[in-house]
Amino acid sequence: MSRTTLTFGFGLAMALLVGWVAFPRALYTQKQQPLEFRHKTHAEKSGVAECNECHAVREDGAFAGIPSMEKCATCHSERIGESKAEAVLVDNFIKPGHETPWLVYARQPANVWFSHAIHLKRAALACTECHSTYGESDQVRAYEVNRISGYSRDIWGHSISRLRRAPHEGMKMSDCEDCHARRNVEVGCLGCHE
Amino acid sequence: MKISRRDLLVWSAGAAAGLIVTPVPWKLLDDTSIWSQNWPWIPQPVRGPIEVKQTSCTLCPKGCGMKVKMAAGWPVGVAGLGSHPISRGALCPLGFGVHQLNWHPQRLRFVRHGSQISSWNDAGAAFAKACNEGPVVVIEGYPGRAASSVLETFSQKQNGSYRVVLGSETRALEAYEAWSGVPTSSLAYDLESAKTIVSFGAPLLDGWGTPGQFTRLWAERAAGKTNPQLRLIQLEATLSRTAARAWQWTSIPVGSESGLAAGVARVLLEERLVAAHGPMPSLTLAEAAAQTGLSTEVLRDLARTIASQTPAVAIASDDNPAVAALNVVLGSVGARGGIVRRSKRTQHYISADAELPSARALLVDASVPWDFVPKTNAEVFRFAAWDGGSSKADWLLPSPGFLEETNDIPSTPTSAIETYAVSPALTKAPHEVQSAAQFLCSLDPTFTTAEKIIHSRCEELFRARIGALQAQERTPVAKFDSAQKIDEQLSKGAIWTGGPGIPGFKCVLKEWPSVNPSDSENSSTIWPAPVLPPLATKLYRESSLREASEMRNA
Repeated sequence: MSRTTLTFGFGLAMALLVGWVAFPRALYTQKQQPLEFRHKTHAEKSGVAECNECHAVREDGAFAGIPSMEKCATCHSERIGESKAEAVLVDNFIKPGHETPWLVYARQPANVWFSHAIHLKRAALACTECHSTYGESDQVRAYEVNRISGYSRDIWGHSISRLRRAPHEGMKMSDCEDCHARRNVEVGCLGCHE
Repeated sequence: MKISRRDLLVWSAGAAAGLIVTPVPWKLLDDTSIWSQNWPWIPQPVRGPIEVKQTSCTLCPKGCGMKVKMAAGWPVGVAGLGSHPISRGALCPLGFGVHQLNWHPQRLRFVRHGSQISSWNDAGAAFAKACNEGPVVVIEGYPGRAASSVLETFSQKQNGSYRVVLGSETRALEAYEAWSGVPTSSLAYDLESAKTIVSFGAPLLDGWGTPGQFTRLWAERAAGKTNPQLRLIQLEATLSRTAARAWQWTSIPVGSESGLAAGVARVLLEERLVAAHGPMPSLTLAEAAAQTGLSTEVLRDLARTIASQTPAVAIASDDNPAVAALNVVLGSVGARGGIVRRSKRTQHYISADAELPSARALLVDASVPWDFVPKTNAEVFRFAAWDGGSSKADWLLPSPGFLEETNDIPSTPTSAIETYAVSPALTKAPHEVQSAAQFLCSLDPTFTTAEKIIHSRCEELFRARIGALQAQERTPVAKFDSAQKIDEQLSKGAIWTGGPGIPGFKCVLKEWPSVNPSDSENSSTIWPAPVLPPLATKLYRESSLREASEMRNA
């Protein structure tokens, strides 16, 4: 093998290594959520069976998003366990009346108008179609944020190449368009970008 | 082993080839494009509870009804209000982007004196000094508002003059004022009752009047819902959008509208197609044909078509006495389906286009379009929310933007239905602003503020007990038990509507107005927009709205 081929191959291998391994690690930084939260525990111990019991759609169609601290306080007004997470919840948030500054994995940019009501009621989509089985998880995962764009990694999807993604992975505009195309639903620009 | 320059180049080529098959270039391209959208100086809507409020647009005197989506108290989206009796859910392209205007790069943030940043105190002192030294002329663009009342009262107190910049559609009604004595501001077209509409270049289906007013009427006619006999005859040089959708389009040279109106009137009178309501034009049919490039037979056919289905009304794109005279001949002035009187009010405005009296200072309200440049040597105090040409004023005073002040919206110009609406202040300006009326009230506390005038107008409506308030449902004013409740409903976006236009006034025209072909060439047919935001500019240009009139003005 000639020296030229070796040198070329070395450069190629270096680039592949950087591009596929180092770059994704360098691109995202991790942030921890302000509280430990277990969807599974709430489903099992509190009997919360449906997502919309906490993540409700209001009467006017607006999505309430993450439940307010008032909702949490209905059960956690006082500590109901000895865990450190419980102490943080009650002492740092519920008693002072502060809302938890959750880092929202699926937060869309400000120029996007996304209606949960239309997707849930008119299209009859299940929550898992976009949010996977996160509602059954036993821990909150770290929030990964893109250092350049500032967006959550969930918007791009976990796969850096966006190849062989699971159906719920990725919340970019192209993902919305693909889903709409599959279901033959037409929405103009102003449907999402008022 | 020695690394040569060739090795480095080969290694770089390999690395470049490798990088192409990694996500690096594509991901960086995507991320940097997003990064550039989120620079810290780009305003971002606040996250918070979403609510939808009804109000009226205050960008121009047409006052279209709109629904404003507010996020945490900030307007983030706009849509037309379907229940509005005039605009009926339609908005112009600028209206759709009105909430973005508050964040326009050319938004005025400071008081400016010449090229220097100044203060409201300095501006107030300079204006007070000017008032003491001589008369002040006040110019505004949306007459009839509560704020207008403040401006007019001030000019009277100062022995000054109050002038109004009228839109082209209102100017087209000016000729009737001289012949009937009814003020232009009270005149309107009764399009809902007309069966033939003859448009002399007016872009009726392309933003003329209130967006949605005639377009909805035409769409309903096409669907056979209302007035299926309605005809629109478009007389225009180019195949504009209106011409393309009209019942009949006749191409005429630019500037020949007056000659055509005279020719049609001559045929109407010669063939006794209408009762003689007006004088015979001095222009012969052959001369009219020569001016318009149409044959005399085409002119005769046109006149017969117009007369075959009445009421018929002719609409000019701007002030055109010959077209107005044609309406007199048709007997359409003071008649249903023609030119009607909207209200019994007799307020007469002096156009700002007339020669301005000599004055020490000139106060120009924010409602005056930037392309109006007063010919004066007086010190100009110019209020504006957006800078459209600061060199045209000595003092540039930042005024409230969209939804940043309480305004009232009197009847839409040219609409036969009398309306009244209030556009409340729903959001705060990000810096210190004052409207011209607020500025004058701050200088002289004896003036009644615009807010108090709005309240008193609500009391007038309550006492008159005429008309109804259109909100989710229509409620007659007689059913309200206090003026306060009317005030509350109007502040929530309800629209008061009075009765239809009043026909039956006399219009005397003894002599056919002189036909000057160049008159029409100077017409500006659109209400000039203040400063278009980027999105609206794109929409405006790409939609080729009003393309015909812009081509004519080019």
